[in-house]
Amino acid sequence: MLNIYQTNKVRIISASQESVDTKLLRLEFIDSEIKKNFHFLPGQFVQIGLPGWGECPISICSSPNDSETFFELAIRDIGVLTNKLNSLSAGDCVDIRGPFGNGFDVDLFKGKPLLLVGGGCGFVPLRPLIIDYLAGRLESKTLQILYGCASEETMLFKKNHAAWNRRAELKVILEKPSTNWKGDRGLVTDLLGRIKISAQTVAVLVGPPVMYRFVIKELKHKKLSDENIILSLEKRMHCGIGVCQHCAIGPFYVCKDGPVFRWLDIKDYYSL
Amino acid sequence: MNNEIQVFLNKLSEEFFLFAPQQDGAVINIKEVRDIGDVDWSGRMPTNTWKALFLPAREKMFDISDGRLVKSKTSQPKIAAIGVNVVDLKALTLLELVFSRDVYYQERRCNTLIIGYSSSWPNDYKKYKIFSHNFEEDILEHLIFDIFIAQFAVGRMKIYSGSEKGQHILEEGGIKDYEHIEFAGPISEKGPDKKMLLLKKKMESSQGKRIWHELNKICIACGKCSINCPTCFCFDLEDSVDPDNPERVRKWGSCFYNDFSLVAGGGKELDTVSKKIFFWYYHKFVRIPFEYMMPGCVGCGRCSKVCPVGIKIEEVLKKV
Ligand code: SF4
Ligand code: SF4
Ligand code: FES
Repeated sequence: MLNIYQTNKVRIISASQESVDTKLLRLEFIDSEIKKNFHFLPGQFVQIGLPGWGECPISICSSPNDSETFFELAIRDIGVLTNKLNSLSAGDCVDIRGPFGNGFDVDLFKGKPLLLVGGGCGFVPLRPLIIDYLAGRLESKTLQILYGCASEETMLFKKNHAAWNRRAELKVILEKPSTNWKGDRGLVTDLLGRIKISAQTVAVLVGPPVMYRFVIKELKHKKLSDENIILSLEKRMHCGIGVCQHCAIGPFYVCKDGPVFRWLDIKDYYSL
Repeated sequence: MNNEIQVFLNKLSEEFFLFAPQQDGAVINIKEVRDIGDVDWSGRMPTNTWKALFLPAREKMFDISDGRLVKSKTSQPKIAAIGVNVVDLKALTLLELVFSRDVYYQERRCNTLIIGYSSSWPNDYKKYKIFSHNFEEDILEHLIFDIFIAQFAVGRMKIYSGSEKGQHILEEGGIKDYEHIEFAGPISEKGPDKKMLLLKKKMESSQGKRIWHELNKICIACGKCSINCPTCFCFDLEDSVDPDNPERVRKWGSCFYNDFSLVAGGGKELDTVSKKIFFWYYHKFVRIPFEYMMPGCVGCGRCSKVCPVGIKIEEVLKKV
């Protein structure tokens, strides 16, 4: 019987400082069979860990298209384990279980305008969608990206922004930027008020709970239907397979039935 | 208990560690059997549960050696759980479903013999005052057990086997007069239990009801109810930092504990007592029925007995 708690070793191909508190780890499985068979969907996550340090769930932020060569995780230093992970460098090994969760149902985006709204480190799971859109693998009609974070220092994927802006529309807003910042200042909800959003839009939101409160209100104002508002939730997790109960919300498990939910399905269980 | 069974159990003790309900002061407790004569056959609900035999409060999953997780090699002892009443069998049947893909649970289960028992077949449900589901005539077809001893109200006794393992052990033990019952899955052919569905419906629409605010003031979130509940199976995975004995363990958790929903960065979903107790009831009366079509509460009454502030689950259910 397969042991669902057994981890697999991955090697860090590269570890680069992505922002002041976040590192981008590019990883590959050491076992070539596992590497070849590692497939995931945008929006899915893995449990990353180190024996003796525990595990934590992190969304995959690279494209499924590259899964046979590498996958990437953005690790924000917010605890003992993530701090340890961020002290590692190329050549070091970590443990992985997964992928877990449902991921985004990209069929829902077909032929529709797609709006991605990311707040803070919540932006991470949106990146595979953007990469796939730019590579022509996502059949949404258009792509708008709104990204709000604290400052230039905490901004993620800066190097990619120019490319994203060429074929998609990217707007970044900072809450506490430096004096050099030429762009918008404020919260991601401020941006929402300023752009045109059609009622047919599918909106994908990833960020802290407060962001959901304001963004959903604004999107409802713009007449988006509850089934076209899609959220990715973050919860404490232990098992990753819908048993331990840590991540339960209403009748669902974020680890198994989520982390991606339509607002339609969870609005009764999620207090804004 | 009649002589034939006593002899059978004595023989069993050569191969298995026996556990059974026994008188312990004023209460009945499940513990290891030193003398077959100590086993309590009164059918009174034991204070503690069987779950620790199937899901230990703390179990090693992996040794950590050279930075690798190596599945722990400890072999599981052969245990016979003797005198498990129908209510507790129902709880074990649920655990069996929940941990069907869990290698640790399954390995332990392979070495465990479950001997169910009814002191007043088929009137147990009346005796235990089950409030969370209905009694069905065909209940034995929908419970897991290896052997079942049914003591009828009028002196007669009947023995059933519920698995090949049970059959084999009965034969070896010299018991030939038994009937085999094939496990037909946890759900009755008539569909999911009606009372369970009714409670599910009530619970689903009970958020914001006054009862949860009342409980917010009374419940002290001690977690005793969940620890003593035969169907509570929440757990934490944890790495031990002991340098001499590094390991990854699984430990019982409780949704009443403060770190249950704590995320890195400090956020906490269950940040009030009212949310915790609602979460607990929701798991039992909605989430489990939704997922497994089985009641998440078997109605044993243990939680009410251990609650230090006198919260009674039956009374709460009337108000949801
Ligand atoms: S035993 Fe009683 S007081 Fe303790 S957590 Fe349960 S309901 Fe609350
Ligand atoms: S009565 Fe209480 S202790 Fe017994 S199964 Fe139901 S919730 Fe658990
Ligand atoms: S992480 Fe265990 S149930 Fe979701």
